[in-house]
Amino acid sequence: MDHPRSFLRGWLASGLAALAVALASGSAQAAEPLKIGFSMALSGGLAGAGKAALIAMEIWKDDVNAKGGLLGRPVQFVYYDDATDPSKVPGIYTKLLDVDKVDLVVSSYGTNEISPAMPIVMRKKLVFPSLFGLAVNDQFNYDRYFQIMPAGPQPKLDWSKGFFELAKAQNPKPKTVAIVAADSDFALAAAAGARENAKKDGFNVVYDKTYPPSTTDFTPIVRAIQAEKPDLVYVASYPPDSVGMVKAAREVGLKAKMFGGGMVGLQFAGIQTNLGPMLDNIVNYTFWVPAPTLKFPGIDEFLKKYEAAAKGKGVDPLGQYLPPYAYAYMQVLGDSIEATKGLDQAKLAAYMHGHTFDTVVGKVKFGKNGEWAQSRVLMVQFRNVKPKDLDQFRDPGTQVVLYPPQWKSGKMVYPFNE
Amino acid sequence: MKLRPSAFWVCAAAVLAGGLALTEVLNNDYYFNALYVILQGMLMAVAWNILGGFTGYVNFGSAAFFAVGAYTSIFLDKYFGHVLPLPVLIAAAAAVCALIGLAVGYLSLRLKGVYFSIATLAMAIVFATLISNWRYMGGARGAYILTPDKHLWFHSYIQMLFMAMLLLTVAAVAISRSLVASRLGRGLAAIRDDEVAAECAGVPTLRLKLVSTTVMGALMGVAGAPYPFFVTFVDPSSAFSLFVAVNAIAMPMIGGTAHWLGPVIGALLVGGAQQVITVTVSSELNILFVGLMLVIFVSVAPQGIVGLAQKFWARRRAP
Repeated sequence: MDHPRSFLRGWLASGLAALAVALASGSAQAAEPLKIGFSMALSGGLAGAGKAALIAMEIWKDDVNAKGGLLGRPVQFVYYDDATDPSKVPGIYTKLLDVDKVDLVVSSYGTNEISPAMPIVMRKKLVFPSLFGLAVNDQFNYDRYFQIMPAGPQPKLDWSKGFFELAKAQNPKPKTVAIVAADSDFALAAAAGARENAKKDGFNVVYDKTYPPSTTDFTPIVRAIQAEKPDLVYVASYPPDSVGMVKAAREVGLKAKMFGGGMVGLQFAGIQTNLGPMLDNIVNYTFWVPAPTLKFPGIDEFLKKYEAAAKGKGVDPLGQYLPPYAYAYMQVLGDSIEATKGLDQAKLAAYMHGHTFDTVVGKVKFGKNGEWAQSRVLMVQFRNVKPKDLDQFRDPGTQVVLYPPQWKSGKMVYPFNE
Repeated sequence: MKLRPSAFWVCAAAVLAGGLALTEVLNNDYYFNALYVILQGMLMAVAWNILGGFTGYVNFGSAAFFAVGAYTSIFLDKYFGHVLPLPVLIAAAAAVCALIGLAVGYLSLRLKGVYFSIATLAMAIVFATLISNWRYMGGARGAYILTPDKHLWFHSYIQMLFMAMLLLTVAAVAISRSLVASRLGRGLAAIRDDEVAAECAGVPTLRLKLVSTTVMGALMGVAGAPYPFFVTFVDPSSAFSLFVAVNAIAMPMIGGTAHWLGPVIGALLVGGAQQVITVTVSSELNILFVGLMLVIFVSVAPQGIVGLAQKFWARRRAP
């Protein structure tokens, strides 16, 4: 008599179990997605970088969803193209918050596209992880703003600090410096910082000029710099000008002890491959290179995924500059949500201020103004670059970290060209 | 297509009342943002049409007037320590841009056709360079402006900006309408059709053209003045954006340049479509959309939508 009863019990138990599983999976399926909204430069001037950032963010989303999402909810992105046009940004963020009803927002890429979102985000008292904005919060003083670019608490000064620290350490100490900058937002700020650092470190500024962003021929500029015979040449430029400036310096045979500093573009694999040996001995800023000192947990895995995803999309094929940080700013947000077990914005902000995050770009700790508590603007030097070889930039030897000392991976070749 | 003055004012009052009602009914800032952008485009289009449509002088430098309006706001706001109310800033921008319009008119109206257009384009470049090198105004780095906390009795600042822009646009349309219906407007039309003949017939062409450039400049300055409070960050590349100028031309061309209603219809159509496309398809397609619409209308219906409607009614009325 026992048999039929146990048989029945067995069926009942398995039926209940099946029901429980079905209910559980049903509730998982029914779990509202956790919506993260943002605008991104997917067309216009910053589209190349914006698209690369989006790829990195999508990788983060897939990684998180593969682990079951956040708070048991799958993560979903709602984003619109701001066309690198600041006037589109307020409309996009109000749409995200008022119509799409996203749970959280993060920023677009770049200062000009981050600022217009600030008043809207501030009004709703939301945490605002931001991607590569230069000193945006100086104006707003918003305590829920968190910027992932490692420019440090004083971005303007910290940007060129390493360049002048390295120069100062040389024996005999160089005396004169030329500062040349594009007449545009970032470059002017970097040049202003360089001017201050030069003064503080006792260098004599013998050339200090800007050039219009539309400049294509840099030979006259380099010749004018050469005429002043500076020991150091600090350049703050945008990608097309950086290429022009390096080519002109090589063509003219610029003689200086150090050359580079704040050139945007020399971090992109396409430009690096194109310039090849012309890059040799240039000392320039960057945020990450494959040096042994910068092998943070997860970075290699991330870059592998990025390279695969970026293929054929017309973006930076190696993605060492911006994409790891685009991944990291999402990591910071995700980790905070998990840790606070909710979406309470005040709790999230408090957590972000109070904790050090382990990300693919290393340990991230935010200071009071939402910038990194400590600068990690790296000064790297290009060494023995071979022509037309993309793969060499995956190796540690091509870009040697010189500054800050804790990340140093080699010694500087000095002078640049004499 | 003729509207009696009383009917026009009733319509204008209804639009304003509708706007006010919207601020009470609609508790969604996105729509006010979108409407603000459409209205800003409409105001620019109405202003452009005064010189481009009524007088026949094509201005490619609209962005310069718009940007100077925006930068006037920034300058005054900064100089007086963020205390000046928005209407004062708008009035100041109107005055500055009216003067620039007058000066540009005086300097360049001896130029005709494509030469005038190139001169206005050059003027935009001159102003952009000037602002890029003016550190006090933020230079090439751009300038921040913080949205004030006060927004009268409205629920949010964007609602107040929307109402301000609605009021300004309705006023601009009224100015444009009264201008085209007046003796002055007939003089402008005479200039557009044949300037030499108009001059021979006793039309004071230079004076009328100066009035036209001045009014256009002032209205474009008015459109630009609240812009810094809308975006909170203005840099020369976005304020002097070619897209501002292209929209100011495309909207009247598509709506119809000969009638005051043309730019209004064009702005509603183009501006509305742009807002929808931005959030449904992509921002990149906006530009393609405007370009395609412009090509289609210029080649198929050069008189714009208003022209098409007029033709349609004329055909229906014909026996």
